[in-house]
Amino acid sequence: MKRPLLVGLAIVVLALLLLAPLRLNGYWINLLYTTLLYVGLAYGWNIISGYAGYFSFGQIAFFGLGAYATALLVVDLQWNWILASLSGGLLACALAVPLGYVMLRLRGPFFAMGMFGMAQMVRVLVTAIPATGAGAGLSVPPNVDVSAVYYWTLAVCVGAIALTIWIDRSAFGLRLQAIREDEQVAGTLGVDVTRAKITAFVLSALIPGLLGGGYALFLTYIEPDAVFSSRLDLQSIVMAILGGVGTVWGPLVGGVVMTQVSEALWASFPQIYLMIFGGVLVALLLLLPRGIVPALTKRLGARRSG
Amino acid sequence: MIVLQLVVNGVLLGGVLALSALGFNVIFGVMRVVNLAHGDFVVLAAVFSAFVFGQFGINPLLLLPLTIAIGLVLGALIHYGLLRRLPPEVTSAEAASLTLTFGLSYFLSGAGVAIFGGRFVSVPYLTGAFQLGAISIPQARLFTFVVAVILSIGFALVLRTTLLGRAIRATSQNLDGALACGIDVDRVRTLAFAIGTAVAMAAGTLLSFIDSVNAQEGVLYTVNAFAVVVIGGLGNYTGAVLGALILGLTEELASYFFGARIAEAAPYLLFILVLLVAPAGILGRRTA
Repeated sequence: MKRPLLVGLAIVVLALLLLAPLRLNGYWINLLYTTLLYVGLAYGWNIISGYAGYFSFGQIAFFGLGAYATALLVVDLQWNWILASLSGGLLACALAVPLGYVMLRLRGPFFAMGMFGMAQMVRVLVTAIPATGAGAGLSVPPNVDVSAVYYWTLAVCVGAIALTIWIDRSAFGLRLQAIREDEQVAGTLGVDVTRAKITAFVLSALIPGLLGGGYALFLTYIEPDAVFSSRLDLQSIVMAILGGVGTVWGPLVGGVVMTQVSEALWASFPQIYLMIFGGVLVALLLLLPRGIVPALTKRLGARRSG
Repeated sequence: MIVLQLVVNGVLLGGVLALSALGFNVIFGVMRVVNLAHGDFVVLAAVFSAFVFGQFGINPLLLLPLTIAIGLVLGALIHYGLLRRLPPEVTSAEAASLTLTFGLSYFLSGAGVAIFGGRFVSVPYLTGAFQLGAISIPQARLFTFVVAVILSIGFALVLRTTLLGRAIRATSQNLDGALACGIDVDRVRTLAFAIGTAVAMAAGTLLSFIDSVNAQEGVLYTVNAFAVVVIGGLGNYTGAVLGALILGLTEELASYFFGARIAEAAPYLLFILVLLVAPAGILGRRTA
């Protein structure tokens, strides 16, 4: 497609998404919100894991922290929820700096599982603190409309996409990709490897940190297993991978497609949902091992040159 | 005295953990695949064993060869039909194999619940205990420990003495070298995946003798196997046995002193610490 056409399409989609809460009922808003949540999480993961090549299984830690921080600020200090969500995102960034400094020394599957363990430890720690209601959870007064949470999540997603477009074109993005291809060579070519990795890690923490606050208000009752859910984490990762790892549009396409597949399967086969979802996942991966977006661009590119 | 009792329990639990980790280790060693479905094979074997025992009441000892045989066939089929078809490039291969085993994990745990139900089940076998002074040694735990040790030794013998074992070790150590020596790497991988799955399922059957297991909690055992293998050093089989004992002891002691909720974090804390302090594992040598 030509460029003006793409921009036009993006504007139309965005306008429709902005108008959606005026027309659609609760079910559809919930579905749109869920889709955006997965898309946002997939974009967050895509920066550190897609561009920098550091597969993280623990970004959900930042999401959960954002959710708990927002809930506590709203309930105990009566903060405005948007301000509280922003603080959740900043808290996630602040924690990501030391955490990244330590964890990014690990590589490959060690980093992946190390981050998984880190997220689980954060979950256990949160349950051990009395202020968070321990394992029992926290309820957040349902003062905020679902459509407000939806707009917040939409804004974070648009921001995440803009950030990814910038990364994809910037020298910073090139540095990350150099690290992904060969970290040692990148280092010898003058890339400040540690700094680039930690910056990517912090950006990857910011997005789930911002989304977490909205999720707390959406659920109105949070508990550790709900917001530090490894299923939420792994599903968003799978969506990014099926869409196309380290591409600008992969997380969007993968998130939109797979959320609908997941919801449709859940509605039709609640008993054997997990089994069928797993089967669909394996089948899609074997059909499109590099992801949907790379497969499409390859085909379009072939047609253009042919 | 209570500490001594906990140590005994921990060591006996370590046997099954070690066996499960050996399966995880051989698959990672040969294929560089972190098998996220590993724990699902463990729990699937456990609920399957409980189901077969409940239906037919056969001697629980017979369950072991049965699940091992199923594991061999299932593992070979999964590698041959699915994993082998992934693209070979390094960067996307890692992502693809993780996604594939993750999908497999969903499929297996979903299938386990659909077929055998989502309840906690176990095989009541050797429910008594030996009394040794103030320490009691549950017969089932002692028995599973002994069987796990025998199976692990058998596994080590296969690796050390047979041609297949040498091919497996060669492929783990140096892929190009193995190819240059004329080893059919594809076949070795299929066999390694089959053996790894069979070992995981044997561990699952043993687990059903000493603990209640639920088809949905496979992740727990994937993490345990990963923690054990990291503590001992990936690809290091002696280290994995030691890692299993350490993990078994830590879990027993932590849940006694700090409660089950905090003890849940023990394997994570252990493996992150080991990764940061000694990335090659406690027995590993640093490679350049």
